[in-house]
Amino acid sequence: MTTLTQKSRPAGRSIPARRRGSVLSRQRRAGWWMIAPALLHSLVFITLPTLAAIGLAFTDYSFGGTPHFIGGGNFAELFGDVRFQAALKNTILYVIVVVPVSMAIALLVAIALNQKIRGLGAFRTAYYIPVVTATVAVGTVWLWIFNPGSGLANGVLSLLGLSPVGWLTDPGLALPSLMVVGIWQGLGSKMIIYLAALQGVSPQLVEAANLDGAGRWQVFRNVTWPAIAPAQFFVLITSIVGTFQVFDLVYVTTKGGPGLATNVLVFDVYNNAFQSLRLGYASAETVIMMILIGAFILIGRRLQGANARD
Amino acid sequence: MQPDLATYATLNEKISTSIASGSGYDVLVTGVGWVQPFAAKNVFEDLANHGVTKKTLGDKTTPAITPATTYNGKIYAWPLTADARAIAYRKSAFVKAGLDPDKPPTTLAGIKEAAEKLTIRDSKGNITRPGFDFNTSPGNYRQAFVQLLGAEGKDLYVDNKPNFDNAAGVKTLDWMKSMIGNVQKFGQQNAAQKPMTYTGESAMGFVGGSIDCSSAGVGKANCDDLGYFLLDDKRPVEYLGGNLASVGSTSKDKDAAWAFIKSMSTDKALEAQAKLNNQIPATSNAADSEIVKSNDLSKFVAKNLDKALFEGGIPNWLEVRNNFNSSVDDVLLGKRDAKAVLDELAQQSR
Repeated sequence: MTTLTQKSRPAGRSIPARRRGSVLSRQRRAGWWMIAPALLHSLVFITLPTLAAIGLAFTDYSFGGTPHFIGGGNFAELFGDVRFQAALKNTILYVIVVVPVSMAIALLVAIALNQKIRGLGAFRTAYYIPVVTATVAVGTVWLWIFNPGSGLANGVLSLLGLSPVGWLTDPGLALPSLMVVGIWQGLGSKMIIYLAALQGVSPQLVEAANLDGAGRWQVFRNVTWPAIAPAQFFVLITSIVGTFQVFDLVYVTTKGGPGLATNVLVFDVYNNAFQSLRLGYASAETVIMMILIGAFILIGRRLQGANARD
Repeated sequence: MQPDLATYATLNEKISTSIASGSGYDVLVTGVGWVQPFAAKNVFEDLANHGVTKKTLGDKTTPAITPATTYNGKIYAWPLTADARAIAYRKSAFVKAGLDPDKPPTTLAGIKEAAEKLTIRDSKGNITRPGFDFNTSPGNYRQAFVQLLGAEGKDLYVDNKPNFDNAAGVKTLDWMKSMIGNVQKFGQQNAAQKPMTYTGESAMGFVGGSIDCSSAGVGKANCDDLGYFLLDDKRPVEYLGGNLASVGSTSKDKDAAWAFIKSMSTDKALEAQAKLNNQIPATSNAADSEIVKSNDLSKFVAKNLDKALFEGGIPNWLEVRNNFNSSVDDVLLGKRDAKAVLDELAQQSR
């Protein structure tokens, strides 16, 4: 904004330093006012709860009575807790599978929907519908699809002459089944971002590459892929954070079961806080989860940096 | 008055967030197993402050549920309705399987043997009609365990100490494991999530304490085909849950809160609550209520309330209960050993 203002002034009529300082100061103040609502929101609903969670993580607070400082007791207990271990393992597995698979499928769909095909609007809407549908509704429909007795999934297996399986009741299948739902549900939002990025790829660059005799794959590899890198980074970070926070799907469909087969971190935090009433313990788990998300984002940034250099 | 409705699944969230926000409820209706943990956290008011004694409680409510209302000798809840559970069986299925419909099995071994005969499979070996229905979803086999353990002569806790990390506990859990995949698939339920025995989708199994035999319910033909019995290996038992009302310790008008509980405890109000919840009134004269007289199942469970047992009783039950759910699942699915799981749960209970 500052650059444009300076360029628009006729040459030789520079603003006096004092006046320029005053304008900048007013602009800065206006900027602060404009971001103040967002800052206030972040302070009240993100920063303070985060600080409270960090503080509570070192106490035995359980809703009743006064919390006592117990040092790292909650953290020590967590690492010996089989529920937490299962939640940690399941969440990392869920993230490792759902994030790359859903990103890859979303990119493919976006490329397909970036072509001039009939019914484009209908396809784009169809892929985006799961994003705007409440997860509780989505979970309920998938519960029916996965119903061992009368569900659609087993109906399809039956048509193929295969025996029915317990999609959500078999400990070996429950988490992969939820991964399928997670991939399906997150497809639309990623696809839209990719689609926007693909439409921003310079047609001149593509044309130049074509004139140089580049094939489709070479154009994609050397022109499209670098051009959508910022979108890739955004999708990666939001996917990691969103996937780490998977809760409602588990809450509606499996409640973390069978056994601990689909117990994930946020669901375990919820259970410890609101079912077992151990808010201090749940806060410690939340702190560990925040650190993990941070670590995953750092890895994502490193990978992105490597891609950009390439 | 502002009611705030919650299911048992969301009850803890409601109560805990109300405590955290400093806006505790005046009256709280919880279930069996909730009273001791919340009384220990001073969330509930001692009802002695409203003139409730063991005698007044015993005179007006069913004695079976009294222990579920007390913590450290004090009464913290007034029973409203009782959710007593028995086992039902289909007489026609018994006849078809060559079993005597007038002599249903009651021991664990007898039930397993009969269930295996009653189980129907398709040509590929898939179970199409369970011989025994646990009537529960994955993660909720805990109450079945408590009921079966009771039949083995053991209450879950005695004097706040675990009483399941023993041979009876291991036998019970191993028996349950032997039934899964043998007479019923793990977590198998019908779409309505109602007892499968009511509609003939199972030949025998755990059921609630009330059944609607009208055409709006399961119908007369289904009801006529049903018989009921209690588990009886070492002793006859029926599982007891229910709704219990307490006064919130942070209530600003505790007398009004208690008056409201009393108004909820009139025969007419209890009748309506019992009908709504498919339960029976938790009164000492429950057998005379219209809802109990309306169906044979309620008559049966009301008659046997003196054999009731229930879960919980320890201050950290809500935490242990969570672990019970997943640990029992692990045993039933063959992922963990029954003894190791019960030892671990006993350790957590201490």
